[in-house]
Amino acid sequence: MKGHWLWLAGLSVLWLAGVAKLATADADPCTPPKQGVPGGEAVLSAEALAARIDAILDARLAAEKVKPAPLADDAEFMRRVYLDLAGKIPLASEVHDFLQNPAPDKRARLVWSADPQEKTLLDSASYVNHFTNVWRALLLPPSNNQQVQVSLGDFEIWLRKRIGSNQPYDQLVLELLTTPLGSATPQMRNQPMDPEKAKPVAFYQANELKPENLAAATSRLFLGVKLECAQCHNHPHAQWTRNQFWEFAAFFSGIEARGPGGPAAGAYEAADRRSLKIPGTDKMVVARFLDGKEPQWRPEVRTRATLAQWITAENNQYFARAAVNRLWAHFFGVGLVDPVDDLNDQNPPSHPELLDELARQFTLNHYDLKYLIRALTGSKAYQRSSAASDPSQKDPRLFARMAVKGLSPEQLFDSLIQATGYMEDKTPTNPRLNPVMTAPRAQFLARFASQEKRTEYHTSILQALALMNGKFIADATSVEHSMTLLAIAEYSYKRGTPERIEELFLSTLTRMPTPEESESLVRYVESGGPRHEQKAALADVFWALLNSAEFFLNH
Amino acid sequence: MAGSSFYASRGLKRPELSRRDWLRLASAGVVGASASGWLEALASAAATDPQRRRSCILLWMTGGPSQMDTFDLKPGHANGGPYKDIATSAPGTRISEHLPKIARYMDRSVIVRSMQTKEGDHGQATFLMRTGYRPQGPVDYPSIGALVARELGNETSELPSFVSIAPYRFFNPAAFGSGFLGPQFAPLIVADMGFPNPMGGGANDYEQSLKVQDLETSREVSKAQADARIDLLRGLEKKFVMQHPGAAPLSHQTAYDRAVRLMRSAASRAFNLEEESEVLRDSYGRNQFGQGCLLARRLVERGVPFVEVSLGGIDNNAIGWDTHQQNFDIVKRMSQVLDSGWATLMMDLQTRGLLDSTLIVWAGEFGRTPKINPQRGRDHFPDAWSTVLAGGGIKGGQVIGKTSPDGMKVVERPVSAPDFLATVCLALGIDYLKQNDSNVGRPIRIVDKTAKPIQEIVMA
Repeated sequence: MKGHWLWLAGLSVLWLAGVAKLATADADPCTPPKQGVPGGEAVLSAEALAARIDAILDARLAAEKVKPAPLADDAEFMRRVYLDLAGKIPLASEVHDFLQNPAPDKRARLVWSADPQEKTLLDSASYVNHFTNVWRALLLPPSNNQQVQVSLGDFEIWLRKRIGSNQPYDQLVLELLTTPLGSATPQMRNQPMDPEKAKPVAFYQANELKPENLAAATSRLFLGVKLECAQCHNHPHAQWTRNQFWEFAAFFSGIEARGPGGPAAGAYEAADRRSLKIPGTDKMVVARFLDGKEPQWRPEVRTRATLAQWITAENNQYFARAAVNRLWAHFFGVGLVDPVDDLNDQNPPSHPELLDELARQFTLNHYDLKYLIRALTGSKAYQRSSAASDPSQKDPRLFARMAVKGLSPEQLFDSLIQATGYMEDKTPTNPRLNPVMTAPRAQFLARFASQEKRTEYHTSILQALALMNGKFIADATSVEHSMTLLAIAEYSYKRGTPERIEELFLSTLTRMPTPEESESLVRYVESGGPRHEQKAALADVFWALLNSAEFFLNH
Repeated sequence: MAGSSFYASRGLKRPELSRRDWLRLASAGVVGASASGWLEALASAAATDPQRRRSCILLWMTGGPSQMDTFDLKPGHANGGPYKDIATSAPGTRISEHLPKIARYMDRSVIVRSMQTKEGDHGQATFLMRTGYRPQGPVDYPSIGALVARELGNETSELPSFVSIAPYRFFNPAAFGSGFLGPQFAPLIVADMGFPNPMGGGANDYEQSLKVQDLETSREVSKAQADARIDLLRGLEKKFVMQHPGAAPLSHQTAYDRAVRLMRSAASRAFNLEEESEVLRDSYGRNQFGQGCLLARRLVERGVPFVEVSLGGIDNNAIGWDTHQQNFDIVKRMSQVLDSGWATLMMDLQTRGLLDSTLIVWAGEFGRTPKINPQRGRDHFPDAWSTVLAGGGIKGGQVIGKTSPDGMKVVERPVSAPDFLATVCLALGIDYLKQNDSNVGRPIRIVDKTAKPIQEIVMA
């Protein structure tokens, strides 16, 4: 009898030790992914995941004695979610409708609805446009490379199709990383663009077809790990060695530029090559995964495909975490890991448990981007006001209030067009390359470059001058070119000045003016301003609204 | 002061004033009695102002210029390449034959041949050389331009204290910004090269590009209306900025304030290069870099403490010094552009009495490999390369440091990026150990305290 108990006790101790080992190994978010995830996990709905987000964030706020900001009102929420999902502000009429809508779940239904008849943001063409811009800006570094300009159109078409069909993210990345190069490279010189044939070759060309550039980009984008420092010497403060960098780069060793002019010519690929020489040395290294494991090479699987499969494998926690973190940063302004592409020991996540949970659920829900978006925007944390209500809300990494984010150049331009009803000349400058790019848009985008740290968006003097004095704004706030101003100024029956001011606010700031604002602006307009003309005074108010920080930023 | 021998000794043609220029200068009360004295008269207000502090002009060589073919030649060695070296106004110092004009100013310059910075990636190296720190985690290190602007600038001045001409910021945009010092020290950027201009125009479109775009209100808007609009704007955003403390709203407000100040200022006429004589403009070189150097002189003359002029490419090529291929053809052409612009700048500053109070810094992010590669190019090389310091605060005529005969390593007096920037600070009269509040709660020194500045070349 006694022996039986001892045996059981011994077994229990061993079992407990095993569990403890598992637990401590899991506690460190920086260890490489283990094989297999503990089974029997619940798959959460978007709503349930949103609740989990709030539970984890709120627990931390309570622990740090930080008072969260109140929820944003409908107007603040609407503007924010439109900018984040559709890439532009809503129309005044849409604002009217939403503010008057009595449905208690209207905020969630603005984003997505189970009813296919209902118009929602996630099912809109604007979502596809905006997220194509967002992912393209992420995947393709800006490049002066001429050849990239040519294959950019293909990339755009390929990406747009996948965003439009909500292709699972792991498949999108798999396609990108295994797209064929070589003599079949679509150069698109004089041929019309066939959507089925569009391939994301631009990714390779933008990285100059170089293994080291592709390795650094792949690692940064899809694993959230910045390897670049390790290219020339061991990484100063992470664990990557120079050897590891080049072993990873060896997955791209088969790619070569052929022909004169480097990457400007076609690419050629020896698809099974998997080793290269570290430049400046005589040392050959063989392709190896970042976690140090050797790939199990299979004869029918090419080198890049081997890498792609490892990256998008279900148990690769780098991949899911990096994806989830980027989307978090898109909506909240700053990632759970910040900077988003630099996860290392010195840069841990602000909420490791949350990052892990989001990553797990993203995986379990088959890397469905819209699912993740619904969870993020459905959380209370996303809906908090961005106005500071308490000094304890200072630390942006606790998400006590929504961060103020800068707009991308496209968001700013599209919002300006929307707000002013600017009658844009819609002739594309070079339809083969980019069907959406018109001359005014191109000029504008060149002035307003994208910035990485959106919560610290820096406005330059030149941008201020462009918005104050530039031709675009001058036209857009003139009665001749602005449909909005025309409509508001000209159609004066049944409309007094206060109503006109309201329309201006709804068209630009997506809210009603406060009583103080209304009073002082009505006085200004009725006095006619320096030109003693009410129409001109209205244009002045319009100009001021469009130039305000409140218009310029996403809050 | 500026007699005919002044020009002759430098092999320069004495600038002739056109009659139109003469009349313009005469009406401005600038021209003196004697024909040869007009330039000295110009050097009056700016140079002799007792309040005048030092200024810095950074000539930034985007892409990493080859030291083997500019300031540290190894003729006769297999790594040397086809260029010959020539004597300079500093006895014993020899530089590339393609820099003959600047060779005459080596007596006012110091060549540092022992730069040793270890960063071979454009982005990392650009950041390191321009901030003195590696890009690390959360700290937003400011670039040297912003640091100098803060120390030497004047808060109420109409022109921003940091102006960046034709920068190619793409390698590392943060390296061209003001980091944690905030938006008031961010540079005014003119002729931004980092993003392709979709409307065409290239590096030689300087008449357009070297202007501040949209400096004037559009013609339909009267001045009174413009002023009323600004008042409306300020009233509207006050509450929003107050309720949303943070970098982005503040930056917006600051940018607008500075833009308005610039619009209303007389100092913005600094950008009217057409006020200069044609001869002088020819001498600088009719290209973006040359005219950029002229603009730099005009800005420094009006009290801007830090101006940088980037020389990336010529003929629409933005990263010209990055000569992985065809090194010798490209460097020769780049050198010609550099030579005219830089030497004329030295001459121009000197004639106006500004050279003693203006530090010129010549640098890129790294040098290039001594071994020539199969494409007749040189690749990135941070192990042993050159920079130059000249003008105000510098005891010219010296060479600091030495490289091995094959150019592969530093054999004497290695100089790191912090060492270099500390030297720049000393030459400008700035305490490089001074601390600034950073964005991570702890104060950060202008230059790291382990820096060893090159004391022996700095004038007290």
